[in-house]
Amino acid sequence: MDSDEEFVDNGSGKELREHLLSPEPDGTSKRTRSKVAITSLKGANGGYSWEDEYQRPWEIVNNKAEGEQSLVYLVQQMIEARKKKILKNPTTPFQRGIIRTLIVIIDGSLTMLEKDLRPTRFGAMLNLLGEFVDEFFDQNPISQIGIVMMRNGVAQVVSEVSGLPEHHKDRIRGLKARQHGRIEPKGDPSLQNALELARSLLGSNFGDPSLGSSKNSKEILIIFGALFTSDPGDIHQTIGALAKEDIKVKIIGLSAQVAICQEIVAKTNFLSSSQTRSLGLSRHYGVIMNDAHFKELLMDCVEPLAVTKESPEAKVEDTQGVPVIKMGFPLKHSISSTTTNGLVNPNFPALCACHPTRGSKDLMEPVSVIQNQNPSQSPGATIGYVCPQCHSRVCQLPIVCPVCGIMLILSTHLARSYHHLVPLMEYIEVPVSAQYDSSHCYGCLLQFPNGSEDTLKGASSRYRCKKCSQDFCIDCDVFVHETLHNCPGCESIPR
Amino acid sequence: MDAIADTIFTDLPTTDELTENPSLLTVVFEMSPNSWHSIKDQISIQDAVKALIVFLNTHLSLNNSNQVAFLAALPTGARMLYPNVKKADDSQETPLVKAGMYRHFRLVDDTILREINRELQLLLATDSEAGAESSTLSGALLMALAYTNRMLHIDQSISTTTASAISSTTSAAASGSGNDHTLGSSLLQTKMSARILVVTANDSHESKYIAIMNSIFAAQKMQVPVDVVKLGALDSPYMQQAADATNGVYLHNREPRGLIQTLSTAYFVEPCLRSLIILPTSANVDYKASCFVTGKPVDIGYVCSVCLCILSTIPELSKCPVCKSKFDDSIVAKLRRGPVLVRKKRKIEGAENGSAAA
Repeated sequence: MDSDEEFVDNGSGKELREHLLSPEPDGTSKRTRSKVAITSLKGANGGYSWEDEYQRPWEIVNNKAEGEQSLVYLVQQMIEARKKKILKNPTTPFQRGIIRTLIVIIDGSLTMLEKDLRPTRFGAMLNLLGEFVDEFFDQNPISQIGIVMMRNGVAQVVSEVSGLPEHHKDRIRGLKARQHGRIEPKGDPSLQNALELARSLLGSNFGDPSLGSSKNSKEILIIFGALFTSDPGDIHQTIGALAKEDIKVKIIGLSAQVAICQEIVAKTNFLSSSQTRSLGLSRHYGVIMNDAHFKELLMDCVEPLAVTKESPEAKVEDTQGVPVIKMGFPLKHSISSTTTNGLVNPNFPALCACHPTRGSKDLMEPVSVIQNQNPSQSPGATIGYVCPQCHSRVCQLPIVCPVCGIMLILSTHLARSYHHLVPLMEYIEVPVSAQYDSSHCYGCLLQFPNGSEDTLKGASSRYRCKKCSQDFCIDCDVFVHETLHNCPGCESIPR
Repeated sequence: MDAIADTIFTDLPTTDELTENPSLLTVVFEMSPNSWHSIKDQISIQDAVKALIVFLNTHLSLNNSNQVAFLAALPTGARMLYPNVKKADDSQETPLVKAGMYRHFRLVDDTILREINRELQLLLATDSEAGAESSTLSGALLMALAYTNRMLHIDQSISTTTASAISSTTSAAASGSGNDHTLGSSLLQTKMSARILVVTANDSHESKYIAIMNSIFAAQKMQVPVDVVKLGALDSPYMQQAADATNGVYLHNREPRGLIQTLSTAYFVEPCLRSLIILPTSANVDYKASCFVTGKPVDIGYVCSVCLCILSTIPELSKCPVCKSKFDDSIVAKLRRGPVLVRKKRKIEGAENGSAAA
């Protein structure tokens, strides 16, 4: 901070220098003087205008310390303000692409060895990616992910497109373990190569071309650490092709904004007019500030994208209507329950139709055996599902039936996505007053602070549902909107 | 001798969670009059409440810092009966339970009995109200989860939020009522485990599917098992799913006379001990989807890609009945078309071949 200000002092114009030379009778510190000198750059918060979004809690405390305000109260308010910031879920229902195919392009170039994130950018990215995969499949159970790495000028598939979180996490773990060997970040990144590879991966749609291309939302997420790309051809052609196939690209930059990235994002998200451009750019192209912000940006990609009106797909839909998908809801078939002698035999193996070639390149093993794939859930491994159309048995869901091609899912998979489609209405903060109707949080029975005579200070700490007018504390507000997705008050009203 | 003993003990799964962690037991008691009336020959509400109170007392006696909560899903709405935040005015009233009882038991039992009586009287007063059929079980479940969430996560860091700053200053005013027992326990720093026990006799709560599903997912995320005691004639598919998804116990109790026996054997096992004990589990959980229009279970259904509603047949107008969006005609036509026989082609080929050969 100090060195910055010195630089400004030295570099600024004549007026400032005169001001510095003039004697200060009251002997104020240098810091105050320099602040006086550059008032034009100041924001509302007392800092520079570009620092406005960062609060300076210590200053708030200082300013109000004279007053009778207690420190505890301020800390409370700050925590609530922070939680309010975390809680920013959309409340207007959108049509969203629920069935998603997402290709994550990770940067494996030399710049990823920078140590501005711990342990390195690469390591930090892989750690967060593991969490991302978990969260993604929790929120989007009928979606798929593929992972591509840009390294040494080429793009390579790290983990092919699949709907199994364990599969991806294994590959990510493998990448982490071999970091110091072959897979160490190396060379230059090539955006064009990676985008072309991702495009071809997205072309194979749930392994089944007959499903058509219009049903799922195709997305690419690039985590880009470098500030350049070395491409074999014209990247603009690739961008055009992506836009034509309605593949949406999101980018998280680890160092700074890059012009080509802006163009990719703008073109593929159809941000043509200048107004939507600036707004959309900030939503689809973010540059991280720190570790926490990286995670925040990454987790933003978990939420399914709204179907945009600008995209040609939407225009086509206006005339043709939305697709309807035929799906099978298979019966759970527990093998242990079928043993005739009544003994529970949880490790009894059975055949499944969905892994004909697993683990063997030369098809030595035409049908694989369901064994304990992951010891963590050993009872689950012997559970099979029977396709209602062709009665072949598969070992996991969701999947496209390998025999008859129908999409097999559980009703719970659909139910998991409902809250994206029917978001819960936001709670509104109750204005400060001397008297409140409620004394306790409706959800957790937490006691609210009493109303105070001085209506200017403090907060009511109550958040009211507009529908059922019950009051909730901030913790319940966050919990209800992020985890429950249903208002306990509204559900308690008999219908 | 030592060797034998060793192998026995190493065969057990690692049980490092078996420490003396306090645990929270939340009982959600569904009290819809119709459903209890239909099983009045088997068990009355009084007997069920008696059994539950014994169950709660047993839970409390296991560990000094164990906690309980009791919610009722009434036709008039979901209520938190214990802990109760209403101003305590019952000091003058005659106690419903024996005065010589262990204080913690007495507080819990007295509050629950008193509140249930009050709610039942309210129910009588507002009789002939519409909505006697509807269930508020989803609301009670959501409330139980919100309370559990606070006890599990927020309570431990509560000294920085509104709660304890306020409750410590107003604890003098609040003391005397029974609630400071739980509300004032924010200094608790140990890890807590929690579970929810749902006791329901209702045979029809299909209407709030999404709310129940969302609460199941929340419980799954929080690792809170949802145990279900289902009384009455029918199985409850949603509650079955809830128990299955959260590693809880689901039992359809057709002979509820021995409810306390069932409770104390199948439901008394702490979640951390469940890996060691073979519990009654239903092997075939019905995860079948039901049609949004007809309500019938569906094997092969059609799903609207906008609102994800499940349809057993494509509606005549090829329009989604829920979100009113129009379906793609070409896809609908493709789906409506029956299977095409390919054999015909082969016959022609064969005929041609035959003619060529001839």
